[in-house]
Amino acid sequence: MSTMNGKDISRIVIACDAGMGSSVMVASQMRQRLKKYDVSVEHVPVNAIPADTQVVVCHAGLADRARSMAPNAVVVPFRVFMGDPAFDRVEAAIRDGTSLAD
Amino acid sequence: MTSSADLKHREGLGMQATIQRIGGYLAGMIMPNIAAFIAWGLITALFIPTGWWPNEQLSKLVGPIILTLLPVLIGYTGGRLVHGQRGAVIGAVATMGVVVGTDIPMFLGAMIIGPSAAYLLKKLDGLFAGRVRTGFEMLIDNFSAGILGLIMAVLGLLAVGPIVETFANAAGDGVDALVTGGLLPLVSIIVEPAKVLFLNNAINHGVLAPLGVAQALESGKSILFMIETNPGPGLGILLAYFFFGPRSLRPSAPGSIIIHFFGGIHEIYFPYVLMNPRLILAAIAGGASGVFTAVVTSAGLVATPSPGSIFAYLAVTPKDGYFGVLLAIVVATAVSFAVASLLLGFGRAEEPEAVAA
Repeated sequence: MSTMNGKDISRIVIACDAGMGSSVMVASQMRQRLKKYDVSVEHVPVNAIPADTQVVVCHAGLADRARSMAPNAVVVPFRVFMGDPAFDRVEAAIRDGTSLAD
Repeated sequence: MTSSADLKHREGLGMQATIQRIGGYLAGMIMPNIAAFIAWGLITALFIPTGWWPNEQLSKLVGPIILTLLPVLIGYTGGRLVHGQRGAVIGAVATMGVVVGTDIPMFLGAMIIGPSAAYLLKKLDGLFAGRVRTGFEMLIDNFSAGILGLIMAVLGLLAVGPIVETFANAAGDGVDALVTGGLLPLVSIIVEPAKVLFLNNAINHGVLAPLGVAQALESGKSILFMIETNPGPGLGILLAYFFFGPRSLRPSAPGSIIIHFFGGIHEIYFPYVLMNPRLILAAIAGGASGVFTAVVTSAGLVATPSPGSIFAYLAVTPKDGYFGVLLAIVVATAVSFAVASLLLGFGRAEEPEAVAA
């Protein structure tokens, strides 16, 4: 379980199995939401999450693999691809500078 | 999300995560190269004698791309996954061994020997690390990889290629037996549940597509490309949610349908199944009836439609094959919708637990 303050987040990684399909879709949504803030949003295959990643957003079914790739990252799992509360949680933490835990 | 739900989720994940990870590597070798597969599929659909614009000269592209370029790209990508650019190069060299050693598309051989050669090079680089005299690094780097490339290519040609060819032929015979025995629809019983556990890419790109390509080269099309990629089962489930799902979820269905059916991102419907697991029966029924329809109408595609969008489907449908392919999608959608609607109680039974999960 990692925790991180929203104002320290500079990069978010969205992961899916191939890093080409659903993660690209979620990443473009998150980019829209976060464009006011100084946060970059990237999409990668879950097997290729960089070990120094701060925050990973991925589907709950892939969360364990994401944690094994980046043990120190805050992993935020979501269940549905659109309108999941997890996306609001990430945005709120960055907007308000509150803490984000997985 | 309660902690008990979290715990429950984690128990089952060890095995699933392991299979996903292995499958992820298989798919990871294929998926970055999908554009090359599509180029090949389009060239094939256009220029072969039964294509839209038959052209003898241009159809010469078909064989070398599928037999050489695509396996080498796969071996290259597989090597890169293991050991970066050096791994990629040696993976490509080693793959040439299996390519030359056989006359079938050597995807499986490439998926084995590409990463293996890169792994050996990684170990070899580890042995030399820190022991090379200043100024000799480039010489050692290039010749260690070059000599290992020689060995792996020879090994691929003489040993790995023939073994994999035997195996691939046996697997192909197995598929043929399933088709002629009318058992192919039963494959959906495995494929559809595995799909929603995020093994969709592993199954399609790791298993079905390599077998399908061999068929497509022989007969111009393969039904195996239609098994995992049929958007019908997912579409049926999303439609059922739109009409009969829990009220809180109905508004999200139309957007999901567009992303699923037109955009081809099938992952979008997996959560709808995972939150009400009985619906997997609808996916299985839809998938199986779609495959059955394809078997009966002798439908097939020339390449794997990726992503599984209706547009990708239309692009890789052979000129004379639209009826069977479209019927397979329509039937799968209808059956999946009917079964899912039934399981959702036609909207009468509001299910609070479906929302909570």
